[in-house]
Amino acid sequence: MNDMTATDSLVCVKFVQQTDGTPGRTLNPADEAALAAALHHRTTGKVTVLSMAPKSCEAGLRELLARGADKAVLLCDSHFAGSDSYATSGILAEAIRQLGPFGLIFCGRRAIDGETGQVPPALATKLGLPCVTNVLDMEPRSDGILHCRRLLEEGVEHLACQTPAVLSLCEYSYPSRAPSLSDLRRAKGKQVEHLDAAALGIDPSACGLAGSPTRVEQASPHTSGLRRVTQLDLDTFVETTAKLFREVLI
Amino acid sequence: MLSQIAQKHADACRFCWMCRHLCPVGLQTGKEANTPRAKGLQLSLTQRGSASFDANMAEGMYECLLCDACTNDCVTGFEPPLYIREARTQAMVEDIAPAPVVQVLDNIERTGNIYGEEKPTFPSKDNAEVLLYVGEVAACRVPQLAEAYMRLLDKAGISYMTLEQEPPSGAMLGDLIGFTQEVQDQGAACVKALDASGADTVIVLDSYDAAVMRQRWPEWGLSAKAQIITATAFLDQLVQEGKLKLRSLNQTATYHDDSRAARTLQEFEPPRALLAAAGIALSEMFLHRDLAKCCGSSLANAYMPQITLLTAQGRWHDALRTQAQLLVTTCPQSMELLGRAVPQDMELIDLYTLLERACE
Repeated sequence: MNDMTATDSLVCVKFVQQTDGTPGRTLNPADEAALAAALHHRTTGKVTVLSMAPKSCEAGLRELLARGADKAVLLCDSHFAGSDSYATSGILAEAIRQLGPFGLIFCGRRAIDGETGQVPPALATKLGLPCVTNVLDMEPRSDGILHCRRLLEEGVEHLACQTPAVLSLCEYSYPSRAPSLSDLRRAKGKQVEHLDAAALGIDPSACGLAGSPTRVEQASPHTSGLRRVTQLDLDTFVETTAKLFREVLI
Repeated sequence: MLSQIAQKHADACRFCWMCRHLCPVGLQTGKEANTPRAKGLQLSLTQRGSASFDANMAEGMYECLLCDACTNDCVTGFEPPLYIREARTQAMVEDIAPAPVVQVLDNIERTGNIYGEEKPTFPSKDNAEVLLYVGEVAACRVPQLAEAYMRLLDKAGISYMTLEQEPPSGAMLGDLIGFTQEVQDQGAACVKALDASGADTVIVLDSYDAAVMRQRWPEWGLSAKAQIITATAFLDQLVQEGKLKLRSLNQTATYHDDSRAARTLQEFEPPRALLAAAGIALSEMFLHRDLAKCCGSSLANAYMPQITLLTAQGRWHDALRTQAQLLVTTCPQSMELLGRAVPQDMELIDLYTLLERACE
């Protein structure tokens, strides 16, 4: 995996539910930026997109082929269902080992559904690669050193890292590109490659719910910070305000 | 074939038939296949393997004005133009688009406009703060509308310029082949030209251009430095500021809202305010404002003139029922289309020529 001369790159993508209530799934916004960055910095190598998702997401991967990706791989197996970020990063790492070597591995910094942001660093750890999170932009140099700007809570950090590396891109950091007619014509003959647990040589107990240490015990809507607004008629308003004043002043 | 989101919009149609009562092409041709719901059904069947996307189906996808009347009235919130545009992209990719459509694409590639002609230029002043974006339809087919507008600007004391080489905004190509990278590249070149002009305000004559500039360009990450305003809204400001004084013409007219101004830009008050300022009593058509029935588009007219003649006649039928003698519009494309079918008892006039008559 740690081939410093590799020119191919890989983009990990996730398809999330639409946020506007319309049906269907859409590409996670930060993953859009990750793909755009990979295509923007492509020189001689090929760009592969990789997603662990149900079979219904194959159409989404085909769209990414039309947008300029050279190869699309779908990791699809019922054993993968319910995987948390730990198990997911393990499955992705195994697939990347099989599909590589890659000079750069791009991810979105977080998915808008889970919002953990854990997969890119976990993936880097499992692959034994450096990881730069929250990348805003970057400049690959010919000496194999990558210069990045990354977003911090109170500023921007400039840093350099060796490649191969895992990068997690900020949403909208690289503008996404629509496919051209020639892109679409080129993508027509391409197929999405499928890999399952057996093809990856993954023990089913290491993925899905069985391989996930995370347990969600309870989920509840948050209430703190929410404004409570009551509409009052004028008389009630005067009465309520007077009562509040009395409570505060006395 | 379609993007996931477009496929969902096609699959999720409830087939309630409400859109067939508003679709100008469906109403005028009487073809069930021309209703938005039928187009959705066909594409949905394609995805399920029950039908193939062939030249016949592709032709049907082009028999649509992309006027958004169906979207505007869809109770379930689905957008037929979304999948119709993508089906057009697919027709181009599969090389099954109708020959007249391919001819129009060829015209755009050669000359930048749907007519395949050299676009006329208009008088221009250097370094003005205001730039008038004329658009291909006004320049090539309805120059009298553009010239009337320029005379109004002169009367209001507005110094303006036009571009000698006016690049397309992406509106026509986007309707023809869907919003592919080629269309976004056209938009980017147009932004570059507008920015290079140094203007701080760009007045746009054709609402199709204004709609793509205001709605699509930001989606594509494009932004012009200048403020973009429609010609009608700019004129309304001039009247409100007292820079253009109008006398009462004391006439009755009906007003045709074009689909992009009415539905994409939601701009129906400025033309009505201008008509009122010129003493024009308005007799509204049955479908007006955001419900307005499209009379056809210049793009559709370039590849299916028989159908756009029918849609223009359909709109004239609505106008005749108002019993007004004058039909007013601000849209160069409507002027081109409605101009093909003016009935004996009515006159077609663009708002700017009418306002010129009212100028003191």
